[in-house]
Amino acid sequence: MKAVSLPRDDGSIAAPPDQAVGRSKFVTDILPPLLSAVIGFGLWEGLVRYYAVAPYVLPAPSLVFVELIRNAHYLLTQLGWTVLAAASGVVLAIVLGVLAGALVGLSSTADRMLTPWLVVVHAVPKVVVAPLFLIWFGFGVQSEIFFVVTFTFFPIVVATITGLKSADPDVLQMVRSMGASRTQVLRKIMFPAALPIILSGIKLSISLAPVGAVIGEFVASNQGLGHLLIRAVGDMDTALAFAAVTLFSIFGVLLWRAAEFVEGRLLPWHPSQRG
Amino acid sequence: MAASVQPSVSGHANAAADKIVLSKVRKVYGGAAGAVEAISSVDLSLPEGQAVSIVGPSGCGKSTLMRLIAGLEAPSSGAITVDGRAVAGPLSDMSIVFQRDLLLDWRNVLDNVLLPAEIKGLNGPQSRQRAGELLKQFGVGDFSRHFPWQLSGGMRQRVAIARSLLPSPSLILMDEPFSALDAMTRDKMNVLLQEVQSASRVTTLLITHSILEAVFVADRVVVMSGRPGRIIDDIAVEFPRPRRLSLRETPEFTAIVGRIRQQFEKTGDLTE
Repeated sequence: MKAVSLPRDDGSIAAPPDQAVGRSKFVTDILPPLLSAVIGFGLWEGLVRYYAVAPYVLPAPSLVFVELIRNAHYLLTQLGWTVLAAASGVVLAIVLGVLAGALVGLSSTADRMLTPWLVVVHAVPKVVVAPLFLIWFGFGVQSEIFFVVTFTFFPIVVATITGLKSADPDVLQMVRSMGASRTQVLRKIMFPAALPIILSGIKLSISLAPVGAVIGEFVASNQGLGHLLIRAVGDMDTALAFAAVTLFSIFGVLLWRAAEFVEGRLLPWHPSQRG
Repeated sequence: MAASVQPSVSGHANAAADKIVLSKVRKVYGGAAGAVEAISSVDLSLPEGQAVSIVGPSGCGKSTLMRLIAGLEAPSSGAITVDGRAVAGPLSDMSIVFQRDLLLDWRNVLDNVLLPAEIKGLNGPQSRQRAGELLKQFGVGDFSRHFPWQLSGGMRQRVAIARSLLPSPSLILMDEPFSALDAMTRDKMNVLLQEVQSASRVTTLLITHSILEAVFVADRVVVMSGRPGRIIDDIAVEFPRPRRLSLRETPEFTAIVGRIRQQFEKTGDLTE
């Protein structure tokens, strides 16, 4: 073959013509997971039908799908409530977490006073104390939001503290030699250097938030997917519960992708984002 | 100790024209038990506009000397004055070029060069224009919108030097700025530095462990011994500027290089 790629004037290499790329990408990247899904769902459907498993024990995927379509409006409304609570909670957690992290990361006195508290409170399994929120904040969405805050606060605090300590000491010395003030050092060096780590903490919190919201709804709400799940299971409507779980999972994946997209936009320079 | 010093430059007899004066400067690190004397009693005067190289083996305290002059550290004893004033903290019209380029990953090339202007609150169109001109002069004008990770090591260090020149400093301190570069890039950077220095006549202090580099770029080479660092020779380098790399093959150049090497052989820094 005579396909030689020569460097152009700007130093880049011209891509060799390759029509096979489209097809081989389908064969290597798309076909295997597709095949795996067909086999997995096929086995599930086949086994449920062959052994005539009762739908309230394990519904067939086709039944879950039908249930998902039939109750689409209801499910989406409940998802909306969960998303609303999760979003309000995580926004609050981001504000509080970054502030607390900045306080601890920038002041050694605050570090010594607050860090022991953070360690102790963080060690408490959040799910275990969820019922207490009912006592503290009453039945309703406010309890749920506060629970999301406690559930998602710590990854952000830890990431902010770590991030603020990650600036290159030589760079800090250089900008001080340029005569930078403390605020300038913080704004121009420490915060941008911390941002990738803070964002990875926020990303983790965003993925935890819907879980926190659902747990909150199990305990203290008459709305949302968590409440729907409790009710569906109470009614032995397992297919509806599966439909809710499916919707919840799809939402989780979309949320993660959205967080990654935002991260890429904010950090085009970071090694993790360099194409 | 003082007997081994061979002052040969007469240009700094007039103290009024001296940019930097160090007298009996000594620096000791660590506590009473593990105290290490980095520099012992250094006397040195740098006249305004001179390009001076300090060459010495690693651990001879030459970087410490630079940090003392820059005001990043205080001497254990002795006095340092810049423009007749005692040094107490980083100087305002001084720039430092470090061994690592220390470019900020999240800023493009232009914004990296503009950093010192921003810090001084001078981020106007004039600064931007000057930054653009400097980048062009340094052969990286087409890369002002690129991010540091998209550049080679040599290009990154060019950007770092452009950044150091942006505020038009009256003093540039360079701490082994080219030691992380490959040999050919390093030669190119030596020529470039020598051109910039010839054109601007800004007082320059270059710390290096390369004898060739020290002689090629400077008007004067100060030779330091191994720890504790002290000055063992002080040589005037009076080749006309601008200089070309072929200068390094002339007998006069080789003679100076040989003299410095002999100093290190005498002190045992080049022998096992």
